[in-house]
Amino acid sequence: MTTTHTTAPRSPLTSPTALTVLAAATASHGTGRDDDIALPKLPGFVESAFSPLAYEVAARCLTAHPGDGDRTAVALASLTGDTTTADLASSRMVSGRVHNPLLFMQATANSVLGHMSREFGITGQMFSLSTLADPLTELLAMADVLLDDPELDRVLVLGVELGGGERVAAVHRELAADSGRPVPSLPAKAGLAAAILLGRADHDTSAPATVAVAVAGAQVPINSTSGAADQLGSIRSLFELAAAHRTDTDTDTDTESHTHAHQ
Amino acid sequence: MTREVREARAVTVTGYGVQTAFGVGPEALRRGVFAGVPAFRPTTRFDTGPYRTAVAAVAPADPAGSDSPDGVDGWALRDALQRCGDAALGMAGLGADGQAAVLLGVAGDHRSVTRYWGGAGGSVEASPGELSYIGRGSDVARRAHAAEPQMSQPRAPGAHLADAVPAQLAELLGDGLGLVGTRLAFTNACVASAAAIIHACRLISSGRIDVAVCAGGYLVEEETFGKFDSGRALARDGMVRPFSAERSGLLLGDGVAAVVLESAEHARRRGARPLASVVGWGAATDAHHIAQPHPEGAGLARAVQQAMRLAGDPDGASLDYINAHGTGTKYNDGAETRGLRAAFPKFAESIPVSSTKSTTGHLLEAAGVVEFVITMLALLNGVLPPTAGFGSPDPECDLDYVPNEPRPTEPLRALTVNAAFGGANTALVLERP
Repeated sequence: MTTTHTTAPRSPLTSPTALTVLAAATASHGTGRDDDIALPKLPGFVESAFSPLAYEVAARCLTAHPGDGDRTAVALASLTGDTTTADLASSRMVSGRVHNPLLFMQATANSVLGHMSREFGITGQMFSLSTLADPLTELLAMADVLLDDPELDRVLVLGVELGGGERVAAVHRELAADSGRPVPSLPAKAGLAAAILLGRADHDTSAPATVAVAVAGAQVPINSTSGAADQLGSIRSLFELAAAHRTDTDTDTDTESHTHAHQ
Repeated sequence: MTREVREARAVTVTGYGVQTAFGVGPEALRRGVFAGVPAFRPTTRFDTGPYRTAVAAVAPADPAGSDSPDGVDGWALRDALQRCGDAALGMAGLGADGQAAVLLGVAGDHRSVTRYWGGAGGSVEASPGELSYIGRGSDVARRAHAAEPQMSQPRAPGAHLADAVPAQLAELLGDGLGLVGTRLAFTNACVASAAAIIHACRLISSGRIDVAVCAGGYLVEEETFGKFDSGRALARDGMVRPFSAERSGLLLGDGVAAVVLESAEHARRRGARPLASVVGWGAATDAHHIAQPHPEGAGLARAVQQAMRLAGDPDGASLDYINAHGTGTKYNDGAETRGLRAAFPKFAESIPVSSTKSTTGHLLEAAGVVEFVITMLALLNGVLPPTAGFGSPDPECDLDYVPNEPRPTEPLRALTVNAAFGGANTALVLERP
């Protein structure tokens, strides 16, 4: 089926409001970046880098800036989702092997979100989405909407991009052919994740600093720290913004904005 | 803390389309869901030999008598299913393009449905700022992967692997309906389409947009069937018996629906008659387990309480019906009952609760939007759909489950709830105009 990918005009938001970056984190595995990490072990999750990397960046943010889990929401964006798990499960079925219940358990992003919620006591809304638009734009817009809710103080937004086998590469090539999107150049076993914990500028007085993030249409202040932007795929903007405001301490590549965020 | 949403813009439902194993439109639901007649039958879409059951709520191979209310073509599902079973096309035949065909047929149906209910119709498609939100999971992705275990194998004609990307279905829907605005695919499993509706309600209520189309679809296929079988979640006796002592699990079902959500002001301006209002919504997480619900239904209770506070009725005194998640599993139904009791300590025993999964099966990502439509039809038709297959009471499920027989009544307000893997819970409150 031939599909055209047009960039639909965004609906104007009525009151673009500054969001505050409370914490930010990035993690990569198997990419060849200097700050690559070994894949963290996550009990109950197997084979795929998706959930461990998602959990890693979320945990760094939530640990760096603890808060009330009852007043925290989480939104995860991933264009293709956990393709490693999907591919493994499909291959098993096609080859006539028995389904692996563990792959079933981790088949949706709900599972790692559920694990996150248990570990950090998060009872606000958690959801996941896929969009061909820039996930950073969509996640910031979503955080803005969610933070209108007086029952919420914080929204953790995160994104995950995985490498993959030939089928995942073919998906990206087809998307690129239809829309001119960049084809991510991640090795098959590699993955990237980024997370930003957001609040309202006037809401959380313990925020380290106000880093205004305009939601509707304006440019997000991004300091690119990546020399290999092609690897970042669909989460490039999110990853670069998180890197610019990173609050974890396991890297020496912090930027001026990071320092600013800790003032 | 109470949100003063009364000051916000009212959210209405001005159109819908729905298709289940019973056929297309509200009349098919009336004959099936609202009569308490299950749609379960052995499926022939794939070889069920390796699995513990062969049963699902699937459309018959020849859905003659599809009864779209205004002569809308109801054959898209048949076509999609024929493609699914076509060996030459393989499973890729039911990729995003196949699902999109069904979805477009159903979403397009909202125009005629609006007229069917006496609305003035109007060109929803021409409205600026319209959004397309769709709840769906990665099942299409899995099918595309499964269809091509080796890239060297010949590709199905016209099959694009890129159609496996969840966002593609929202794009296809948006393109097909001529919608402008943001297109998002919610992928959070069995609350996906409910989450899409909630997000749209927030956007409309806050004045950010005027109109949104929210849709969801799931058609029974082997891979998901096999996974639920591997998790020993499927009912052993070919029936889904929610809240009943005899319940032994869930069964999957075909379901596709789309709803048009619109600010009351916008609907009035274009002369559309609202079918119902959405007066409350809530979403919360259990913080308990990656797969099992909280045993006390804590997240469900929290989501319901949020929605009811928003609806201005925290006690649930005005509630006339609850469409439960009610999967028919041991884990879910007891927890859900306790969650509803926690949410409505004063009124839980007097509010009728039913699970329409007892007739439609579990529609996964589409459950939220299809059950939203069913709940709205209960308000409009004055009949509560029963919990079919109800045998003997289970002591841990001790509410009024409208067992086996539909119940004529005049409900004004109803709640529909859903839950999913990871402890996600949603609640939506609808009100008759």
